[in-house]
Amino acid sequence: MSIFSCLLAGLFLPLFPSSLVFNAVLRRLPHPWLPMVLLLVWPQIGLMLVLALEASPPDWVVPWALLTSALYALRALTLQDVRLWIGFLATSLWALLWLVVSGGGWAIAAPLHALGLSLPLVLLCLLGAGLTRRFGAARAGLPGGLAQSLPRYAGVLVVVVLAVIATPLFPAFFTMLGLVLHAAPAVPLTALALAGIWLLWSWAGARLLAGLVVGPAGGDGVADLSRLAAWGYVGVLAALVGAGIYGAMALT
Amino acid sequence: MERLVVLVAVLPLGSALVIQLFSRRLGGRAGGVSVAFAAVTFILAAAVLWQALAGRPPAITGLGGSWGLLLFDPLGSLMAVVIAGISLIVHVYSVRYMAEEPGYARFFVLLDLMTAALLVMVAAGDLITLLIAWHLIGVLLYFLLGQDTRSPSAYRYGLWTLLTYRIGDLPLVLAAGLLYHAYGTWSLPEIFAAMASRPDGHAVLGLALPEVVGALVAVAAFARSAQFLLHTWLPYTMDGPTPVSALMHAGIVNAGGFLINRFAPVFVHTDGVLPWVFVVGLLSAVMGSMLMLTQNDIKKALGYSTMGQMGFMIMECGIGAFSLAIYHLIAHGLFKGTLFLGAGSVIHGARRDDGVPKDYLYTFVVERRPARQRQPWLLMAAITLAVPVTILMVAHWLVSEDYFQKQGAIVLLFFGWVTGAQLIFATYRMRSQNPWRLVGLGVFSFAVVVLGYTLISHAFDVFLYPDPAIRLQIYDAADIPLLRFDVLVGVVTAVIVLGWLLTYYGERHDAPRGGQRRRVGATAYALVSREFYVAGIYDRLARGLLAISRRLNVWLRWA
Repeated sequence: MSIFSCLLAGLFLPLFPSSLVFNAVLRRLPHPWLPMVLLLVWPQIGLMLVLALEASPPDWVVPWALLTSALYALRALTLQDVRLWIGFLATSLWALLWLVVSGGGWAIAAPLHALGLSLPLVLLCLLGAGLTRRFGAARAGLPGGLAQSLPRYAGVLVVVVLAVIATPLFPAFFTMLGLVLHAAPAVPLTALALAGIWLLWSWAGARLLAGLVVGPAGGDGVADLSRLAAWGYVGVLAALVGAGIYGAMALT
Repeated sequence: MERLVVLVAVLPLGSALVIQLFSRRLGGRAGGVSVAFAAVTFILAAAVLWQALAGRPPAITGLGGSWGLLLFDPLGSLMAVVIAGISLIVHVYSVRYMAEEPGYARFFVLLDLMTAALLVMVAAGDLITLLIAWHLIGVLLYFLLGQDTRSPSAYRYGLWTLLTYRIGDLPLVLAAGLLYHAYGTWSLPEIFAAMASRPDGHAVLGLALPEVVGALVAVAAFARSAQFLLHTWLPYTMDGPTPVSALMHAGIVNAGGFLINRFAPVFVHTDGVLPWVFVVGLLSAVMGSMLMLTQNDIKKALGYSTMGQMGFMIMECGIGAFSLAIYHLIAHGLFKGTLFLGAGSVIHGARRDDGVPKDYLYTFVVERRPARQRQPWLLMAAITLAVPVTILMVAHWLVSEDYFQKQGAIVLLFFGWVTGAQLIFATYRMRSQNPWRLVGLGVFSFAVVVLGYTLISHAFDVFLYPDPAIRLQIYDAADIPLLRFDVLVGVVTAVIVLGWLLTYYGERHDAPRGGQRRRVGATAYALVSREFYVAGIYDRLARGLLAISRRLNVWLRWA
């Protein structure tokens, strides 16, 4: 794979600094549906490019991808805006797809891994749009205390964030598990880096949730998520869990 | 039997689902429903244990794939009963305790999910199932500790717990990766069998695979069991509801001891891991006990007490007394759970009346009148040194004649002797009107504790590790070179005896503290009261990382 192809693919499977493009685009998209489409399509374009070349990425891509992932995971720790947080987590998650495509037998399932990583982000984007509609912004601390004021909304939000940060039994967990398990015997340093990135995601997720969900009730008179919508989210999340388990069973 | 094992793990999940789906209809009855499920789970777990006690051979069952396996064996069945029992008590206690709290149904859903995760953890028959349960316990504990969603401090300290648990998850993931790569299977029994047939068959970075895996498993256990340097979350997580504290201290924090026992077939092939486990446990026991003594908050003192107890438990693993660690974690779980659940009402009751009957025993023990004449110190010193040794020797001889051939047993005896001697020494210093009666009471209590502990732990040994060869192998894995061992025992004995002499000398001469001694004492006290600055250092590190994160975001304009 040539350097040019790598850099082009690095726009879609984000490698710093081309990752700045994706985050700038995501931030500027006005309509809530467009970011969702972008989140689904962007990594798939990258994977199509990489897989179409039918050549393994050069060796330097993996450490660069790890650095990109770690950089965005670290930067996500202090974000309060939900849209920005989604962009940074997406960058951090998708950068690791380079490890999937470098992993030989894994490469064929890479689009499914990408989908498993992106779908919770899409759900979070949808929830973020709902918060913006209700409160004018989707930011931690504004208004905060969702568990008190919008318990159903808060419940769904918590589970979706857990799905994003690779909590069992969501697909991202099995992707991460697979990456660490494959890296541990061959390149222990890579496994340690992956473990560190995973830890940062947990920290970033917990900080975001604490800002949104915890605290005294705010935003009186704002409507909670409807029962139907809540069931819709639960259905998608259950499907994600099912897909994660099925995928892991098939892979092992 | 396999179905029963699956049911034990699935019932709490069913309870969580029922409560979540029908929470509005159930209202205040959600607690009752959860208790009913917990009671049935406990009965089934007891039935599984009964089967194990009856000698039914280990079995494994699963979803049909290469993971999702549940193992029925003595360790899993014993731990399942302990967890189901403690969970049932916590459930019953919570029905009324949490009645006035918001999120009543959510609490029981989380409690049931936690019970399920714990039960799956102890019954996990493969690495992936174990990892999933191990990981989920940390996440669920975070939300249980933050049950009061109005309290940012509960979430702040919950975050410490979550991060420490995540730090502990990662070595286990790495260990799983190494084992899978080496043996090509997730199944724990298959991995252990393959390792037993060729212990030196695989190496990682030039080290034998069992050594590396053993070390990683030990680190995972340290994080879960609040060992020194990974302990800061434990004493600070008191903002959570009392039942959660009870469950955490009685059933979650001791998972480290369980994990080391589960991986016993790996540890028997290690050479240098267990002695380090012993050192970490010893350090945690000493630090935890020391920190406990300087707390003025009863719950925080209980937290540090748990750290000390977990140190003892890990230390027992480090000397090869694996089954003793399981007995210890069960005993600790029961008494610490009781303390947490009872602390509030005891404090409340003591405000009105201390409840201690002013009878003869009270007067004898508490309101002591010093004897006119003290017993000869040589006689008392002889009793102090000889009586505990005799009791310990007899107790262990009853269990096994070759017990004294194992280094681990010698260490246990040594600690028992120090404790017994300390007890008699302290009794002598109390200056009672009737010193023989007081010493007699002390010696009797000591004998009961030692005999009980020895006989019960032997029973655990036979039940958990029926093959005597494995028991011997575990002790062998914990051994260090004989000369180093003898020197260590000698040095520790000298330090302890010197400490006693200094205390005795100081009290006898009532020596006034000079400037130098006072300064050293004040520095030591400041160090302990600030908890060795460990939490402060972590806090600084975390703030530093957050500052870097902010700076990077500003430089890169949030893109």
